[in-house]
Amino acid sequence: MKKLIMITSVALTLTLVAGCTNKSVVRYGDATEVETTDISFGSTDLQKVAGQMTDSLLLSPVVGTLTANSRPIMFVESIKNKTSEHIDTESITDSISTKLLRSGKFRFVDMSRVEAARKQLDYQQNSGMVDTAKAMQFGKQVGAQYMLYGNLASIVKSNKDQTDVYYKFTLRLMDLESGLVEWADETEIRKTKGKEFVSW
Amino acid sequence: MLTACASTSFSDLFSNYNKQMHGVKSAQQRGNFEQALTLIPQRDKGNVSYSLSLLEKGRLEYLANQHELSKQDFELVYKQVQQAEQAAKVQLSRGVENVAAVVSNDNAIRYDIPYYEQSMLHSYQALNYLSQNDLSGALVEIRRANLVQNKALKANQQAIFDSQKKMARKGVSPESLASKYPSMNTAIGEVKNGFQNAYTFYLSGVLYEAAGQANDAYIDYKKALEIYPHNVTVQQDVWRLANVLGMDNDIQLFKKRFSQDIAKGNSQGSANKQSPAASGQLVVLVEQGIINSKQEVSIHLPIFTSHGDMRFYSLALPSYQNRLRQYSGLSLSYQGKHYQSQEIVRLQSLAAKQLQDEMPVIVTRQVVRIIAKEEIRKQISRKGGDIGNILAALYNVASEKADTRSWSTLPDSIHILRLDFAPGKHEVEMNINGNKRTVNFEIFEDRQTLVKLTAIGNYTHYQSLNL
Repeated sequence: MKKLIMITSVALTLTLVAGCTNKSVVRYGDATEVETTDISFGSTDLQKVAGQMTDSLLLSPVVGTLTANSRPIMFVESIKNKTSEHIDTESITDSISTKLLRSGKFRFVDMSRVEAARKQLDYQQNSGMVDTAKAMQFGKQVGAQYMLYGNLASIVKSNKDQTDVYYKFTLRLMDLESGLVEWADETEIRKTKGKEFVSW
Repeated sequence: MLTACASTSFSDLFSNYNKQMHGVKSAQQRGNFEQALTLIPQRDKGNVSYSLSLLEKGRLEYLANQHELSKQDFELVYKQVQQAEQAAKVQLSRGVENVAAVVSNDNAIRYDIPYYEQSMLHSYQALNYLSQNDLSGALVEIRRANLVQNKALKANQQAIFDSQKKMARKGVSPESLASKYPSMNTAIGEVKNGFQNAYTFYLSGVLYEAAGQANDAYIDYKKALEIYPHNVTVQQDVWRLANVLGMDNDIQLFKKRFSQDIAKGNSQGSANKQSPAASGQLVVLVEQGIINSKQEVSIHLPIFTSHGDMRFYSLALPSYQNRLRQYSGLSLSYQGKHYQSQEIVRLQSLAAKQLQDEMPVIVTRQVVRIIAKEEIRKQISRKGGDIGNILAALYNVASEKADTRSWSTLPDSIHILRLDFAPGKHEVEMNINGNKRTVNFEIFEDRQTLVKLTAIGNYTHYQSLNL
């Protein structure tokens, strides 16, 4: 009997100790899984915004006629962050332009890499290392016909019971020559976090 | 387990925060911010004053031009504030802290950052982002600061009323407290509440203008004007933007309120627009002095116990010195004209007003504590005889400390001045509190150049940022 008590108590202590030493575990998860760690702008929001915007753009009839016989050249201007969070809006534009490129209907010029391209051309032309007959020439790049730009705005409200965040993402496509906005759409996201009643 | 989650360092319980910060502040007064940084009382995560020590650190790093470090520390504080706000309604760890506070003192309670300190936190954070040429990041901080001020406005009135009622229920009337507690009226001055910070609104206006959002800027300049109706710089900005934006109703209203100079001065300005003499603007933010720390005062208050009899108890309460230092601000002469900066926020007054509003809550806790400690002393003396009685009495005296925690490295007063300059490089001699200083800056057409000046004692420093 005594032995039994002894064993159970040892086992109990062991489980207790094991419970307390919280070992951190590394796991792989699904990148598209809904993420609700906290209320701030997260991966699910980014994926939702980028996904809905590209779908809407690709399915719109205006864009259908634009891309019927050619692959228009676009460039992405930045997305203006008007929220009260530090959000990497470049990563939203990256997702959108990647999806559009993947659709095969558009071509892109990348304004963020102009300097690097210039350096490379300069090297080819002037370093004396590259066969001049095979070197890429300056002044042969093509200009973008359309500009993609947008805003991300938010309204945050909170009271003693909950916090509510509303995001509105607007994206527009402008014909650079005529200045006409050919397409625009917006996505909304609303997130609410209720407060727990008791916690440590 | 309990200590791990809500810990108070031993020194906090028996020595006042203002004493611990003494060395830091005298180093800051000498302009030796690196030394001040090493002297900050270290608090680890989980300590009740962790966020406060981060605030002090972030501010000193900001002064020492270590903007990246300062940004990281302030961001940590913001996370703490967020967590506290979104935490459960009943937090058991707070209960533990309160129990600890009942047997010791208020220093065992988590430091909740008051609203005026939060708005300053975001203002500094915005300036940190600006020094890294990140206007969009700075604007995020400005929007956070505005959220704080809105929240404060909503939370304020009801809270003060409720806490006064609670104090009365514990047997202390607001009148008897007011008669014993040292007055802070001079320190408070004309401030109406402890959270509305015109400086934050003004900075927000400047940054919105830099981002080309004149309408947003106008709204925030107007809010700053509500708080400081006589500040000429703000009046000029409101008048200028009202004209640019064609706010006809407001123009009629301000025409009556503002002095002739401003209303006339800008009609000339609009005439200038037709015959354009290119110009840009210089905005100077002048931080002066260091805010006072809270002090401990002892007062005797009559308290009605539950048995209905009245007894006098001695309470240790925090208070601010009832005086305001005078600052002459910034003055400069340019092209034969003399210009003088004006106050946009008096942080000392905000802090004093905040403390005055919190006083009923503090007194209520103090009364509960005194009664509990008295009860413990009785119990111990019954069991431990004379020695127990003496020990308990000694402990009660030693642990009776006021909570003097507050963000103590903030400036005392902030002034602003805005001037038009021709585009190009300039070198202007400025006079700050009697110290002469030559300031170099560059003006671009139709852009603002922000110069932030710090004047602490004989130390002056400036940084110019092109917006």
